Amino acid sequence: MDEKKVQLTDQELFSFVEFDRRKSEDTGYSDYSYWRSVLRSFAKNKFAVTLLVIMVLLVVFAFFANATARFGIEDLNRNDKLVSPNATFWFGTDSIGRDMWARTWYATTISLEIASIVTFVCVIIGIVIGCIWGYVRATDRFFTEVYNIIANIPQTVYLILLTYIMEPGMSTLIISMCTTSWLALARNVRNLVFMIRDREYNLASRCLGTPLYRMIVKNLIPYLVSVIILRMALMIPQVISLEVTLSYLGLGLPSTMPSLGALLSQGRTKFQDYPHLLIFPALIVSIITISFYLAGNAFSDASDPRNHV
Amino acid sequence: MLKYSIKRLLESLVTVLIIVVAVFLLMRLMPVEGYFGDEYAKLTQEMINRKLESLGLFDPPLVQLGNFLGDIFTGNLGVSTRIQIDVPVTTILAQKVPVSAAFGVVSTFISLILGIALGVTQARFKGKFMDSLGTGYIIIINSVPPLVYYFFIQVFVSDWFNLPMRYDGDNPVSWILPLISMSLGSIAGNALWVRRYMVDELNKDYIKLARAKGLPYKYIMYRHVLRNAFVPMVQYLPVSFLMTIGGSLLIEELYAIPGMGNLLVQAVQKQDNNLVQVLILIYSTVGIIGVFIGDLLMMVIDPRIKIGSKGGAR
Repeated sequence: MDEKKVQLTDQELFSFVEFDRRKSEDTGYSDYSYWRSVLRSFAKNKFAVTLLVIMVLLVVFAFFANATARFGIEDLNRNDKLVSPNATFWFGTDSIGRDMWARTWYATTISLEIASIVTFVCVIIGIVIGCIWGYVRATDRFFTEVYNIIANIPQTVYLILLTYIMEPGMSTLIISMCTTSWLALARNVRNLVFMIRDREYNLASRCLGTPLYRMIVKNLIPYLVSVIILRMALMIPQVISLEVTLSYLGLGLPSTMPSLGALLSQGRTKFQDYPHLLIFPALIVSIITISFYLAGNAFSDASDPRNHV
Repeated sequence: MLKYSIKRLLESLVTVLIIVVAVFLLMRLMPVEGYFGDEYAKLTQEMINRKLESLGLFDPPLVQLGNFLGDIFTGNLGVSTRIQIDVPVTTILAQKVPVSAAFGVVSTFISLILGIALGVTQARFKGKFMDSLGTGYIIIINSVPPLVYYFFIQVFVSDWFNLPMRYDGDNPVSWILPLISMSLGSIAGNALWVRRYMVDELNKDYIKLARAKGLPYKYIMYRHVLRNAFVPMVQYLPVSFLMTIGGSLLIEELYAIPGMGNLLVQAVQKQDNNLVQVLILIYSTVGIIGVFIGDLLMMVIDPRIKIGSKGGAR
């Protein structure tokens, strides 16, 4: 490039060139595609891919296993109470003779359902509120105040109030978890937006009169993708943990709808003599949460364009 | 800075007031049956009314709110109405707070020391075996639901080392397992922070200069890197120490520790309005003050940080 410049004479430099349409469109060719690069760098991380495969298999299997169960989740086998795992009862039975195989996999699907719905709702609320909170200065005080207030009111208050207004059940639990879980994400997004809102490209965009909606969707969100993915992946284990805690406190789902949390807290009392009651749910919940956590971390690294070659 | 502090404290007062009023109103939306428990079905309407009247629930909500706030300002925290009937809230707190706070403060110290040590080790041997080992620990603690490893510790670890599974105030050996369970999570959190900040800090120019000057590695690590990496952590220290008065819900439940852990949950479930309100008042005040002290502390430790001023455009 430099050599060429030197070789140009004054005449060549200062004479008009004829307009060539093809040349004006001429750019360096790049086959860069964001999502393809994300997938490619994710695929390089063999460990994360393995975990993802395990996780997907486990999730698919959980739904499939429900169909293969020989007993219903509420079927009582009166002669087979607290049986250790054997050929008939693959995960044993609980204290009133219910088949743990059926219950465990059913609980897994319930916990996953709750976790994915709560995560999905919270991510959307978190992004929308976080963007407005960080981008529109005038709303900062208001949202900070709202944040302080919601974060300081205990979840039990919402839960009990909601169970009073609605039937205790999955939707009650989901709504009450949603009321608080979006806060952390919104705050995170807000801090990031705060950092990039006055960068030159955004300043330029604002000067050109870009509407708020377009600013957020085109200028801010692409910057946040990797953080959002990370948060999403971390939120699923968090929601599962929260559900486990709430069930343990007796604030979870009704007893006809066992979740992993409910199984863990039921298993605890007889755990020392009948370890199968606790080990299988604990193992499954651990595999799911660890894989989500690690695969999410890897995917978030992969989705950061700075890590693309 | 004084002006900023006063302004900020006044703002916090308003926030606390809003929180208390919100909780107050939410508690008044709770079902009437909640004030009675199981015997509700057996009571006659007259008995129900008499009880509700004695709880002061027939007054208009604004009068109730006024009474509550008036009492608070004169230093009277009132009595518990459902958990320990007619026992002053201060008495309940005086019994429970010291237990929770003692456990909390000790475990916060443990997790600070071990967490920082782990983080420093990881940063020092970045990419080596120790680093991966620490990362593995952090990943497991962060992703597995706490209840699962609390159970594990309570059932297996107590068996292996022949430690008691229940808390006993007179037997210090029984304090070990709850303390370990309580610290595991925050050790992981601290280590994660320290490692990240130290790795960031190690790539900075002044560290390169220090190395070029020939300072010993250990000296650079402790005098330069750790000190700078510690600044962002300082902000959270006061909150974590102050919030120990709240206790740990799951651990106190598991080991039957008579602390604050489940007091709030119980009070909400049993609709002990006054107790709930006082607890929320205390927790939110302490939380907000903790964050405030943290900000001040950060400014003291690192003179470059100025929070009060608006700063530039970005």
